[in-house]
Amino acid sequence: MAMLYLALGAIFGFILSRSGAADYNYIQAMFLFTSFQLYGIIGTAVAITAPGLWLIKRYGRTVSGRRLVVPLKPQHRGNAAGGVLFGIGWSMCGMCPGPIFVNIGEGKIYAIAALAGALVGAGLFGAVYTRVQDLFRLPRLVVGTRDG
Amino acid sequence: MPLILHGLTPIHWAAAGAGIAIITLALLFIANRRLGISTGFEDVCSFVLPVAYFGRDAVRLARGWRLPFILGLLVGGFLSAALGGGWRPTWDLGMFDQVIGFGHAGKLAWMFAGGLFIGFGTRLADGCTSGHGIFGLSNFELPSVISTLSFLAAGIATTQIVYRVVFHL
Repeated sequence: MAMLYLALGAIFGFILSRSGAADYNYIQAMFLFTSFQLYGIIGTAVAITAPGLWLIKRYGRTVSGRRLVVPLKPQHRGNAAGGVLFGIGWSMCGMCPGPIFVNIGEGKIYAIAALAGALVGAGLFGAVYTRVQDLFRLPRLVVGTRDG
Repeated sequence: MPLILHGLTPIHWAAAGAGIAIITLALLFIANRRLGISTGFEDVCSFVLPVAYFGRDAVRLARGWRLPFILGLLVGGFLSAALGGGWRPTWDLGMFDQVIGFGHAGKLAWMFAGGLFIGFGTRLADGCTSGHGIFGLSNFELPSVISTLSFLAAGIATTQIVYRVVFHL
């Protein structure tokens, strides 16, 4: 299965690379309202994924017959607060998480610094989780109850 | 507007959006996986940071698919550059170079700072453009609607301040 994930990731990465979704200028143009490209990409992706998702959920199984599992994301104050922080970073880097990896693959040297920052930022969040848990009403951690 | 990468002409937004939708649906229908990339930062952190947050089932049970998928993103970027005019390391950053400048060290510092916001923010929000923006919106999840509106608004505000107020275009 690892090869399948790798292949899907490679196609995904190629599309991000060639569409402008991993391009600093196109991200700024989206936020400056001077290009429709990124809005078109996200809008089209949602417009096609939504009915597809509805059909797959209605079918209820994967292609190999396993029961479909769609884990839902928890709702808390962090959705908005974290979204705002992420938006600032998206604008600064001109990359969201996927394109950070795509840009590194393309050979853009500065993207390595963005990845380093993202890893430190995620690490920092993990380290302070229990201290900001109440502030943002985050869910309790579920740790080690099942086999990895 | 050409891409920074070799000045290539980008593919049409409708084709790109359709491609992203197909990958998202394939990931779910074939592999029972919910698209989400920023959790991959946790996957990496979980190997080196012994804190409870990174020992969550949501992290431990998904490393097996998300890490190869992320490796695929690197491969996709590499192939795109290699097939589109040749792979070579580059510092090119489009309008950042023209308007802000800064040089290499400044660019790295700027990117690292932006990365901190991305890493911390996506973990606090529980997702990024893929998990909230594509999958969550498509699944009509309220937290994803809130989060997507938040990061679009903050992105617009930040770019407007950087390029229209601080550094004039």
